[in-house]
Parts: sequence; C-alpha cells; structure tokens
Amino acid sequence: MTNLFQYVPGNSVIHRMNPVTKIFLTIVICVSAFISGNLFYLAGLLAVDLLIGVIAGVPGKTLTIFKGLLKIALFLFVLQILLVRKGTPVLWIITDQGLLTAGKVVLRLVVVCMPLALVLAVTRISDLTNSLVQVLHVPYPYAFTLSTAIRFVPQFLEEMSGIMEAQTARGVAFDKARGLKKFSMLLPLCAPLLISSVRRTDQTAAAAEIRGFRLRTRASGYRKYPFTFLDLAAAVCCGLLLAGAIVL
Amino acid sequence: MIEIQDLSFTYKNEQKPALQEIRLSVPDSGFLGVIGPAGAGKTTLARAVSGMIPHHYTGDYYGSVKVNGLDTVETSLEEISRLVGMVFQDVDSQIVSPVVEDELLYGLENFGIPREEIPARMEEALRKVGIADLRDRMIGSLSGGQRQKVAIASILALKPRILVLDEPTGELDPRSSRQVFALLKELNEEQGITVIIIEQKIMLLCEFARQLAVLNGGRIVRQGETRDVLAHAEELEKLGVNCPRVTTLSRVLSAKTGEEQPVCTSLAEAEEMIRRLIQ
Repeated sequence: MTNLFQYVPGNSVIHRMNPVTKIFLTIVICVSAFISGNLFYLAGLLAVDLLIGVIAGVPGKTLTIFKGLLKIALFLFVLQILLVRKGTPVLWIITDQGLLTAGKVVLRLVVVCMPLALVLAVTRISDLTNSLVQVLHVPYPYAFTLSTAIRFVPQFLEEMSGIMEAQTARGVAFDKARGLKKFSMLLPLCAPLLISSVRRTDQTAAAAEIRGFRLRTRASGYRKYPFTFLDLAAAVCCGLLLAGAIVL
Repeated sequence: MIEIQDLSFTYKNEQKPALQEIRLSVPDSGFLGVIGPAGAGKTTLARAVSGMIPHHYTGDYYGSVKVNGLDTVETSLEEISRLVGMVFQDVDSQIVSPVVEDELLYGLENFGIPREEIPARMEEALRKVGIADLRDRMIGSLSGGQRQKVAIASILALKPRILVLDEPTGELDPRSSRQVFALLKELNEEQGITVIIIEQKIMLLCEFARQLAVLNGGRIVRQGETRDVLAHAEELEKLGVNCPRVTTLSRVLSAKTGEEQPVCTSLAEAEEMIRRLIQ
C-alpha cells in the first residue's frame, strides 16, 4: 500500500508520453466504460488496462492493483446479485439480470480504477503538476495541492506506522486484534496523526513559500511538455476506444 | 548584515513569548553559531531572520529585524527569500517533491533562474553536498542523512547571500556532519556568504563558528566571539549547554597550574597548549 502511488522510474513508451495525454487516455477509458454496457467490450477494456501496465514495464504493480480491486469487486458482485430482483431466477434468488448488472458494475469498477493508479506509477508527480499548469492552464496552487495530497499518502502511512510502533512498544497488542476490534484500537490514534499532519502541512507550506511558491507562473517550469508522434498515436487509440464504446 | 533590535515575539494562541528582547547583529560574511537548551527559542530566531516570522507565523511582534537593510516586516517574504536560504530542522516537512532532481528544481524554477543556468547550478549543489549520485532517486527511498543533504543542496542551488540552518546535521553521522561544516566554512570564506547555524554538536560549532549566541528561555544570555563565550563555561553548563572537552581541559589546567590558560576551541589548540605545559 505504501508504494501503491509511488512512481516507478522507466523509459517505456508510456513513460515518455506527455502527462496530459496519459490523463486524457485515463479519462477516455473511464468514459468509455460508462458509455458501453457490453460485457465483452468492458472485458476488452480490462485487457487494455492490463496491456498498458505490461507495456509500461510495471506488470507486478499492475497485478497488485488488480488483485486489490478484485477483493472490492467480489464484495460488490455478491451485493449486486443479492439485491437485483428483476429478470428470471437462475439459481436460488439470483436472477439473470442480477448477474448481468453485477458483472457490469464489477468490470466498470476495475476498468476505471486501474488506469488512475497506473498513471501515478508511470508519471512523476512533478511532471503531472507542471504539465497541468503549462498545457491545461490549471492554476498552480490547485496543481500543487493535488501533487502534495498524492505525495502525503505514503508519508501519512509512515507516520501512522510510527505511532503504532510507539504504542506497540508500550504494550498495545495490535497484532492480536483483527477486524472491528483492530479498527477500534486504531481509532484513538487518529488524533496524534491529525495533529502531527497539520503541523507538518503548515511547515511544508512555509517551506514552499520561502522558495518562491507565490512567484511561480505558467512559464516557470524547467521541463517543457511538447506533444509528439507518440501522443498522436495515443490519441488515435483513444478515438478507437470511444468509437468502440459508442458502437458496441 | 543582519541586525535584530529588541525583538520580542509570541506565537498566536500562545501565552509565553518565544523570544524576548533579542539584540543581535551579524556582520556580512559572519559565521554565527546559536546554541541553547530545547525550547530556548532557537528555531523561532531562525524563522525571524528568514522572514517566516511575521509573514508565515503570526503573533505579537515587537522590535525589528533588518536583513541587508531591509526590514522583514515591510519587505515581502519572496524578497527576503532571495537573500536568505533556510534549512529546516524537520527535513521531511521541507521537502516538496518526490524526486531529488525535482526538489532542487523547485526553487530554481520559482525564482526564475535562467534555463541555461539551471543544470550547472543543480550539478554544483549536488556535488558540493556529495550526493551527485542520488540525483534521480525517489526521496522516500533515501535515509534520513541523505534527505538532510538533499534539503541542504536544494537551498545551496539558490545561492542565497545568507544561510540559516536549523540543526542541519541532526540526522548525519560524525563524518558527514564535519563535511557539512567544512562546506559552510568554504562558502563563508570564499563566497562571503553569511552563515547562521543552530547546532547541538558543540565541538563542531566551536571549531567553525566565529561568533556564538547562547539562548535560554527566549533571551540571549551570552553572545560574542566564540572564545569569549566559551570562557564562561560554568555558566553555560548551568544552562545545560555542554562545552567542548578541549575547553573543559583548558579550564581544568588553568585551575591545576594556577595560571590562566588560553580557551581552546579545537583539538589542535589543545595539543599545542599541552605541549607547551609539558615543556
């Protein structure tokens, strides 16, 4: 979990793509997944997601994300087949309509979440921020907020495990508790985590300010993000995906 | 030149003043060491010099801080930041980027350093701190000491005229700590950069700093040339500030021999003193 959002350095086709193209591709996949109700098309999109992961040279990470999503998907699947009452019964209270809807929901969930996580794995956060500011004209403070939020996730987890270690050292048996009990043990730790996080956030703000945060303009970025042939190819793929979603 | 006149500061929502009636002046190209027990106001003093007080941290502010003639209250934080670079005590909160290279780029981009100048500045800063090989690494994967060096490099790249460092060697091993001090000395002597350093490693501080200021309870209890301040070793020890062993040695020898020995600040000086006494 700690490194789920972390950038994996590389020089793959996906790495070299313009960050804006990657965001665009992600959005196209998400939109396509909601336009089309065809199970085969959705399964195809899932294959596209996995293929992107493989091309980007992060198959291991792709699989980890996939497995993580599968757990949530399974839960949703069961919930859907038990709740949908329309259609003819197939087995017990499960209907054919229920199975179809559940399948769609689950596939959509996985298809939509995977590229979002993958984008972060193959793009430096600073590139993401800078390209949003330079190409899409997003105001810098918003882009900075986004990148800081993403960057803080592993930091908070690190801090949380630090607090847990400190508690364990004083006799709290986190390792023996499970499920709801463990959750109730973790709840009181939110206060120290919140306090230290707020303090840290404030200091980071100060650190950014004394290094010219307010002076930054759209032209400030050292790296530039021109569109290349690669991005054109990606755009064509996007077009095909969208067309497929509308037709199927 | 930094001139602090009767500065008193109380953080917002706090009762106790963090600084009281501070009077301090650091000449151009000065090298000031600041020392004192925990909660003495050292970090607050650093924040006041770097303009974070009163621009970022607000509260009751009396007196004045002038940096190269500019009053920090009237001057914008950006203007002060162009002159003063600050390295934080909590390195993790200072870092704003996930990759070493980006961390160095951040300030350079913001201050509008010309593109063609940027690569050389980054290389120089990384090389000086001795982390040229870490350039493309994720900061999250670095050790505490390496992160501290990244933070120092990111400030050095901006080439400030005044450097304020809040315990910059807290996470460093003895050898790296000495390297950082040697680098500061080099910048100070060759480029005339003013250095203000808060440090607990008293031995290093006394060896490198030309001036010392001792803080306690928000007040400066003693300041002056390092050697003069160290002459009041007993007073410092009462405050919980340990003196370097060489200084203690010269004090003990003064008492034992019955004649006043010079205050030593480095091993070489102590060696010379002992040789002289043996002869």
